[in-house]
Formats: sequence, structure tokens, C-alpha cells
Amino acid sequence: MPTEPAAGGEPAPAVELSGITKRFPGVTANSDVNITVRAGTVHALVGENGAGKSTLMKILYGMQQPDEGQIRIGGVPTAFGSPADAIKAGIGMVHQHFMLADNLTVLENVVLGSEPRAGVRLDFRAARERIREISAAYSLNVDPDRVVDDLGVGERQRVEILKVLYRGARTLILDEPTAVLVPQEVDELFGNLRELKAEGLTIVFISHKLDEVLSVADDITVMRRGTTVASVSPREVTSRQLAELMVGSALPVPELRDSTVTDRPVLTVTGLTVTGADGRTVLDGLSFTIHAGEVLGIAGVEGNGQAELVEALMGIRTPTAGTVRLGGENITRASTRHRREAGIGYVPEDRHRQGVLLEATLWENRVLGHQTRRPSSRGALLDLKGAKADTERIVRDYDVRTPGIGVHASALSGGNQQKLIVGREMSADPVLLIASHPTRGVDVGAQAAIWEHIRRARAEHLAVLLISADLDELIGMSDTLAVILRGRLVADYDPSTVTPEQLGSAMTGAGRED
Amino acid sequence: MTAGSSTGARHASPVRRARKIAPWVYFLIAVAAVLVLSAVRVLAGATDLTSSGTVQAALTAAVPLAMAALAGMWAERGGVVNIGLEGMMVLGTFGAGYAGYQWGPWAAVAFGLLLGVVGGLLHAVATVSFGVDHIISGVAINLLAPGAALFLSKLYFADAPGGGQKQSPRIADAPKVTVPGLSDVLGTVEGKHWFFVSDVAGVLRGLVTEVSLLTVLAALLIVWSGWVLWRTPFGLRLRSCGEAPTAAESLGVNVYRYKYLAVIASGGFAGLGGAFLAVSSGQFRDGQTGGRGFIGLAAMIFGNWRPGGLATGATLFGYTDALALRGSAAVHALLLLLGIALVVVAVVQYRSGHHVLSAVAAALGVLFGYWYFASDEVPAELVGAAPYVVTLLVLGLASQRLRPPRMAGEPYRKGQGK
Repeated sequence: MPTEPAAGGEPAPAVELSGITKRFPGVTANSDVNITVRAGTVHALVGENGAGKSTLMKILYGMQQPDEGQIRIGGVPTAFGSPADAIKAGIGMVHQHFMLADNLTVLENVVLGSEPRAGVRLDFRAARERIREISAAYSLNVDPDRVVDDLGVGERQRVEILKVLYRGARTLILDEPTAVLVPQEVDELFGNLRELKAEGLTIVFISHKLDEVLSVADDITVMRRGTTVASVSPREVTSRQLAELMVGSALPVPELRDSTVTDRPVLTVTGLTVTGADGRTVLDGLSFTIHAGEVLGIAGVEGNGQAELVEALMGIRTPTAGTVRLGGENITRASTRHRREAGIGYVPEDRHRQGVLLEATLWENRVLGHQTRRPSSRGALLDLKGAKADTERIVRDYDVRTPGIGVHASALSGGNQQKLIVGREMSADPVLLIASHPTRGVDVGAQAAIWEHIRRARAEHLAVLLISADLDELIGMSDTLAVILRGRLVADYDPSTVTPEQLGSAMTGAGRED
Repeated sequence: MTAGSSTGARHASPVRRARKIAPWVYFLIAVAAVLVLSAVRVLAGATDLTSSGTVQAALTAAVPLAMAALAGMWAERGGVVNIGLEGMMVLGTFGAGYAGYQWGPWAAVAFGLLLGVVGGLLHAVATVSFGVDHIISGVAINLLAPGAALFLSKLYFADAPGGGQKQSPRIADAPKVTVPGLSDVLGTVEGKHWFFVSDVAGVLRGLVTEVSLLTVLAALLIVWSGWVLWRTPFGLRLRSCGEAPTAAESLGVNVYRYKYLAVIASGGFAGLGGAFLAVSSGQFRDGQTGGRGFIGLAAMIFGNWRPGGLATGATLFGYTDALALRGSAAVHALLLLLGIALVVVAVVQYRSGHHVLSAVAAALGVLFGYWYFASDEVPAELVGAAPYVVTLLVLGLASQRLRPPRMAGEPYRKGQGK
């Protein structure tokens, strides 16, 4: 499967990394990495979190220096002492977390640090013209005079790209550029990338979203545990093969074995209606029931009411109509704490916003949401010993990779944070688990572990509401599937017969069958 | 909550953004303000409201505040909160007193500036190099500076001719300029007490008669600061350190250097403010600044961290200060003025959908109006407090969409961006 790009007669590769090794105290981040990026192509670099992609790109961008190995730019051996050197050599980086000043205009953000001058003055006119020129040349559609704060995520990313182009970059490194984008924005970005490629620029594209990689890349290099394991052509691999290359073994499959569904309803929702802050109806008369031992999967394009549904169920948002019953109890107006104490576990979609406190220790995070219950508290006081002991248990049972329970949650990788959250939510023997995108941004190993925990809890009669954007996960993990569209449940499917294509068309409203 | 509200806010913000206001709108607002002023003057019989003397006094009072506000703006635009303005102003007043009585007003200004720079440097070393919390460093300077100034004053002024333990000998005033001819004509018109016309004449006369060169210098510095910060690469880099220092760093901007420059400039302006205060009141006195550094900060916030806005804020505070000096009749008229202003605020806030704020402003407005009509004068104890009351009300109720520098007051360490 690995192929060598045809070299004969072609210009020198834009970037050639050979034998790159980088050691940090205690770890080897990169060992003997070899990558050849042909000029004028989109080259994808894929690998799991922690595979060494970011370190490698930092080396290429001059933020870190390799211990061994050689960088050749356009065939010429080069050494970068700082990003400034890399910029001079025509390499630009679009960071995953945008480096933009929100209160400044696009123009100010773009020219900062290399401003055109007229005397001591900043030459706004020249800057504006140059930005318009670049914007038009690559169809970036960026208005230099808007304030960045007003721009959407996709536009901000284009500003970042423009910033790099303004500095004369011929090779662009994009670090997980699609992580923050919605699907339409991803399409637009890919359009821009093709445009850039057509103009002869070279793009290094870091991602772990394999479908995207396959659709946009010309060459793919796979990294695993700090080294390059394969170079493949997107025409010759499937996303599954690619994933297996990344993981180094066969992939876990989301599937439920036999049905554990009982006829005892755990969550009964009737006519649930929620109105948004602007008066729009975001949830419109939702009714469904989840039984003990049942996983109800909700499919839908993001922004169709999933977040509001979860918030209404958790008591974060007050519904305008309808009832929510947990077991026999009407909890429509109950407080979030009461709901949690009544046995609802909650894995939020954005773990940094709702799931963990990054600047708190693991055991403190363990207490959150369980601060009124054993083993975290006794009476009005926290039971530190009990909380710590139980955190140790979660770390052990859920395989949370951490140096200890006293470290801050920010020291953990996303997957390990997520395992901690799942462990915490499972710890109080919940009767209902609301899981929003439980495996989003999590590496394959953690994903398999989280699935396994949900499966096991389901066998013990846990009811689960599963919301996910990963259709394979939904189909594999659900007993019942419903599609949400514009705040309504529009279709039900049997996960054993439905295909992702059918689901996809129902999610966009193309194939309405009701 | 998560996805919904964040996208909501993103889409809402362009609509709520303050639109560019055309110059003629400002002109109309100014005319309306003078109209209201003259109506109140006629109604209350308080000629001081628009007399050239009041305007002159207002300018004199506004200049140190404007300098303090400018100082705050420079520091915060560079990402450092400078609550030590008050202390730096005190250093400025002392410097002015020390040099002023020996070598005249311009030496006073230069020394005030210099001592302010020393204060700024101290703040910069603490906050930028050592990462001390900005508020703590500022408070420390505020505690340190008056003590140091008093100590030095005892050391140098106690035995100086005309000086004392707590005050310097007299400083000669800075030269003053008057536009010849125009001032007299306006004076004649002002004397007629015609509705509106005389008021305009009074205000204009105040602006062209006996204007201290220090005031002119201050005005130039405000304009110059705006130009430097918003029109030059230097200014862009400095502001980027207050907005997104890691982004600036990634583009090769030496953030530490610009932060240092910003805070040192801030100290310099605060020192200048102190020097102007000492020169215009003729000497250094212990406790002379009287919280002007803090009012300057308030003016800066009122002015949305922009030179034009902070000048407006400083003028407003200077004006109430001047009225307070003019005595209780003027302050009594100020009650009515404040009542009207609050009702205007109420209307504006109501139209922009802030109903609670609007109701509070309206209620307070009516209250002040009632106070005015139900009483003949303001108790003497409250006269001096007028500027502070106005500060409070203005800040509390005029809450606009403020745009402070995003990372002002946040610690920054090089190389910690990801």
C-alpha cells in the first residue's frame, strides 16, 4: 500500500524532512520522521492525538529545533531558529486556535508586525490594496475593514490564511483546520485550499478526520507513536484502512450484542417545547420514551435542537410547554441538582465548557455534580478522603492515564478527560445517562473504552440518550434511532436496518418519510 | 446554552455595534446641550452655568483629569491596568513643586513628567518583568508615592522661602494666551444675557481667553496620542499587546518592550497631569491630587479607551468641578441639569432595550428634579461632592457598549502561547 510519489522530472519537493528526531526530557516526541511534500500539492499528515504531528509541525515552523535530522526547503538544507526564519523561507502556519485580536480590524491583524509604512505612519491604503489583492487572487473574500469580533469562525480562518499569505508564504501548514468549522465552512475551506493549490502553493494539512483527508489531500502521511509509518495515496485507501494505519491494529466497532431493552420506562418526555431567547421555537413538541436498558440515539445536523433538548432535560433551560418524567416523578421544573440526585448522569458535548474545570485537580472534578452525595460528601462537609479514594477507583477502572489524582485536569489529554467524565457520571449508579457526543475528539482507544462502559451499563438496565454526529456510532450503539430536524423528531429508524446514507438524507430533510 | 447562545451572541453583535457617528451629529448634540444649559440658566438664574469664567475653570480642572485618563489609556492599550495613576500624579506634583519654584513652570512640567516616568517604570518592572498582579502593584504605588512625596517635601521645602512641611514655595504660572479682538466681542455678547446666543458666546469666550499654554499642550497631547496609537505601526503593535499578546508574539512583536513603553508613557502622562495640577494651582501641596487619578480612570472608561471619549469625560468632570468651585447656586442649578441629563439617558437606554437601567435613570432624574424644585440651595457639605456624584451616575447609567482592550490586566509570559 505505501507508495512513493513519482520523482522523475518533477521540481524539488517543497518540503523534505528526513530523519527528524526530537526528544524532550523523558519522552521522544519524534523519532526518524521522513516526509516529502511535493510542491503544489495538499499533503495530509494524519495520526492520533499524541502521535507527534504537532511537534513535527512546530519543528517545521521553527518553534522548536530538532535534535537530529534535516529539513530541506525546495531542495536546500535549512535550519530554523525561530518562526521568523521559517516565515522568511516561505513557510506559514495557521494555528488551530486562532491568533487574532478580536477588537482589531482584519487589516490591523493582517499587517501587524510587518506593516507597510509611509514615513512613520502606517500606510493604510497600501495595506488595504494588498489585502484586497490577495483576497481576490485566492477567493478568500475577506473585507479588510471589518472588526474580527464580527466575523464567523470560517471567516476568521480565512483571515489567518490571508495573514500567512501576506507574509509571502509558499507553503502553508494548517493545524487541524476543520476542528472548529461546521460542514459548509469545511466545504468552503476546501474550495480555498484547491484555489491555493491551483496557484502553485503547497499545503500541509494536519487532521484526524479521515473522510476530509481523503477528499482533499493529494498525498497522505500517517504518523504513529512519533514516527511516520506510511505514505499513501488517497485513491488507494479507504478511511477504515487509514484509521487502522493510525492505530496500528484493527479498529473497535460500535455495536450492541443482544437487546437488553425492558418495558419499564425511565424517561418519558411529552410535548416538550422550548423557546429560544429570540422568541424562536427551538424544540417543538418532542415526545419520546426511553426504557431501562435502552439506548435512544438522536441523529441530526448540529444546531437542530439537540443542545436545547439536553439542556431542557438537565434543567439548565426551562421548557415553555410539555412534561419530563423520570421514572414516576415529574421533573419538568426540578432543579439541575435534584435531577442529578434523582439519577441522571450527564456527559456534556463541550467538556471544557461544562464537563471539567481545567484548573482544578482530578479529585475536585470528581466531586463536582456529586457534591451532595456520598462518597464525595458527608452531611454539609466534603469528604476529601472518600472523594480521593473514589477518584482513584475511576482512574483505575476507566483507564484514565494520569500521573496522579492531584494534577489539574488540563494536564490530561482530551480522551483521558472524557474518560474521567464518563467515570464520574457512571459512579453514582445513574438510571439515565445523557451522553452528548461522548467520543468526540477522543482517540480510538478511549472511544472503544467509552463504548464498552456504555454497553455494560446498558446491560445493567441503564437508559441512555445518545446524541452524536458520528453516524456509525449512532447506528452501532443505539437500540432505537430518531432524527431531529428543526426542533422536531421527524423520523424513527431501526438501527439494524438503516444505512448512514438514509440517516444523512433524513437529517437534512431530503428524505422525509413521515 | 453552549452552541445556541454563542452563535446567538456572534450574530447579534454586529447589530448592536456602535455605528460610526457623523460629525454633524456631534455638532447637533453640542447645540442641544448648550440649548438645555441656557434654558436651565434662565430658569435657575444661575449665570455661572455658561459664563466664560466657569468654562475657563472647567478647562483648568479638566486638564489634569484628561492627562490621567490619557495615561490610563496608554497603559491599558498596552495591556497593563494602571491603577497607580494617582500615585504617579502625586510624584508629578512633587516634581513640579521641586523644579517649579526654582526654575519656572516649564521646568516644573519637565520634572513632573520625569518623576511620573519613574513611577511608570516601577509599575512596568513589577507587572511586566516580575508578573506582579497589576492591581497590587498599582495600589502599592498609590501607597508609596504620597509618603515619598511628603517625606521629600519635608526635606526640601520646609526651609525654602515660602515653602512649608507640606507645601512647596510658589511656582510661577505658565504663560496664557488670548485670541485678541474675538475675546472682547464675545465678552460684549455674553454680557447681554440673551438666550442661547450669550451662552454660546460665554462658552466660546472661555475657550479663547486666558488659555494656559499647558491646556493647549494637553489638547495637543491627546490628539497626538490618538494619532500615534491608531495611525502608526508603533501604535498598532502597542495595541496588539493589549488585545492579543500571544498573537503579537507569534508575528514577531516584542511584547515586553511595547508593554514597557506603554506603561512608561502612562507614567509620564500621569506625571504631566500632576505637574499641570501643581502649576495651575501655583504650588505643590500634600494631598493635592485628591483622587484625580481615579476620576481619570473613570473618564477613560467613560471614553471607551479612546482619546476623544476620554477628553469628553474629563471635560464633563472638569465642568462639575468648576461648578462646585463657583458655589452653591451653581451646584443647585446642576441638580436640575443632572435631572434632565438622567431623563435623556433614560430615553436613550429605553430605546436600546435596557428597560431596568432606563427606569432607574428616570427615577433618579425625577428625584433630582424634585430636589431642585423643593429646595433653594444644596447643603455646603454636598457641594464639593458634586463631581463624584456625577461620576458615579454617569458611569453607572450611561453604560454603553464598551470595548476595553481584551487582555488588559491579564498576566502575560513570553512563549506560553500555544
